Amino acid sequence: MICPVCSCLCDDIEIVDGKIMNACKRGCEFFSKYEENRSKPLVEGREVNIDEAIDAAVNLLKQSKSVAIYGLDTTVVEAQKKAIELAEKLEAYIDDNSSFCLGEFVEAVLKEEVPTTTLEEVRDNAYVMFYWGSNPHYSIPRHMSRYTYYPRGRKRPRGYEEDRFLVVVDVRRSETATLAKKNARFILVEDDLELIDSFFKVLEGKAYKYSSDAAIILREMKKSDFNVVFGGLGLKYGLKDLKPFFDLVNKLNEVAPLYFIPAGFHGNMRGFNETLFENVGVVNRFSFKEQNSKEEFAFTELLKREKIDTALIVGTDPVSSLPFEVSLKLRKIKTIVVDPRNSLTARIANVVIPSAFSGLETSGTMVRSDGVRFKLEAIEEREINDVSILDRLVGEL
Amino acid sequence: MMRFTKFLKVEASFVIARHTLISDETKANVEPVVFLNPEFAKKSGIKENDVVEIEREGKTVKLRVKYLEEAPEDGGLIPNGVFANYISDLNKFKKFKAQIQVAEGDPTSLEEILAKFKS
Repeated sequence: MICPVCSCLCDDIEIVDGKIMNACKRGCEFFSKYEENRSKPLVEGREVNIDEAIDAAVNLLKQSKSVAIYGLDTTVVEAQKKAIELAEKLEAYIDDNSSFCLGEFVEAVLKEEVPTTTLEEVRDNAYVMFYWGSNPHYSIPRHMSRYTYYPRGRKRPRGYEEDRFLVVVDVRRSETATLAKKNARFILVEDDLELIDSFFKVLEGKAYKYSSDAAIILREMKKSDFNVVFGGLGLKYGLKDLKPFFDLVNKLNEVAPLYFIPAGFHGNMRGFNETLFENVGVVNRFSFKEQNSKEEFAFTELLKREKIDTALIVGTDPVSSLPFEVSLKLRKIKTIVVDPRNSLTARIANVVIPSAFSGLETSGTMVRSDGVRFKLEAIEEREINDVSILDRLVGEL
Repeated sequence: MMRFTKFLKVEASFVIARHTLISDETKANVEPVVFLNPEFAKKSGIKENDVVEIEREGKTVKLRVKYLEEAPEDGGLIPNGVFANYISDLNKFKKFKAQIQVAEGDPTSLEEILAKFKS
């Protein structure tokens, strides 16, 4: 079966006699504890039945003047489509975690502003591989062992011992950085832009802060016709503007082929980005009322600017994941939470609708970080799930 | 007995990142922990399992100290989640500087933070 926890979507998970095989620590915890801390149908803290909770959500949405639908990165594409349909019907805002996560990276890939590839191609062909602002050791724990650094590939039969060159760029010597010993460079940066500038300077024959590292990496890249850079959240937040990074990837392609894949996010964040992109041409923060995408339509900005009176939050936990100064604004609006977990946000919501875990209790499609689609088969199909809940909301509004 | 280090408040760098040793996929509870670089902690008079108060821009959170070699040399790592986000903001979402000192009492609880949403 397929693990839906992170954007690796590992498809070799087996549960044999209660033992979870092949999963990482995150996956093991998900599969072994999915029955714990489940949400219950609630309206204003009072336990109700599921129909009453959905009816209360319908009433709240009917009374609202400005709705945002938010989250959706842990659910299946089929539910994401329903959420987009609902947003259109309500002339609502729709956004996911990618607006403060790696959405800009995915958008650049979908708009073909940088060359990209698949993880299978990386495994078979990649020589130089950058992990820039990403610590896969904890965020996407099997990324390196299944797809990138450790496996022996078709053109890389000697694996990491001789056939890979690892580059780790981070603001600290992370667990991944400690692997950068033989055939590798670890670059401790204070400012990611200085490293980008160093590559450009070296290509011009000039010296700069990290020119020694950059020169070594460029020399290694030239040895191969396939190199890859994985960009993580550290890179996104290390740069105010991602354009210099995309310019660098394209410039380095004049030296040797270099592909880009965003690294590390929720199981189906890319699914949401692609689904919205197919519908309206952008990956996140879209207003169906204004038929436009703007920075101020990000869920965080809508909360900060007090532009919404109701939020429908599906499969995400903003009380946990957003800065307190932003999430505290949830106090001022009505919140409807659709989630299998009794998350922190569910604990403060006006209406809670318990759902099923996508990929485990409901089947559907998810999209891996590199854009490859997977069909997830549930081990027990639940009647009440994100698709059925959103479908009912669409039908009753 | 009161420790002298209780009065030392120092500036430290903090990185916000995922750390699976304390992750909780069930969302039931989150351990209020900060991983400090051992050398930095020792220089600052902070021992493993101490409770420290981390203050940034008028907000404070109390966390239990664990040592981590891979933490930033001049500070620590706070796992993604509600405790890190209590003192972060969108401009300094993954990395910030803050004041740290040894504190008395228990770490901040989830209930204390959730109470602020209900007040």
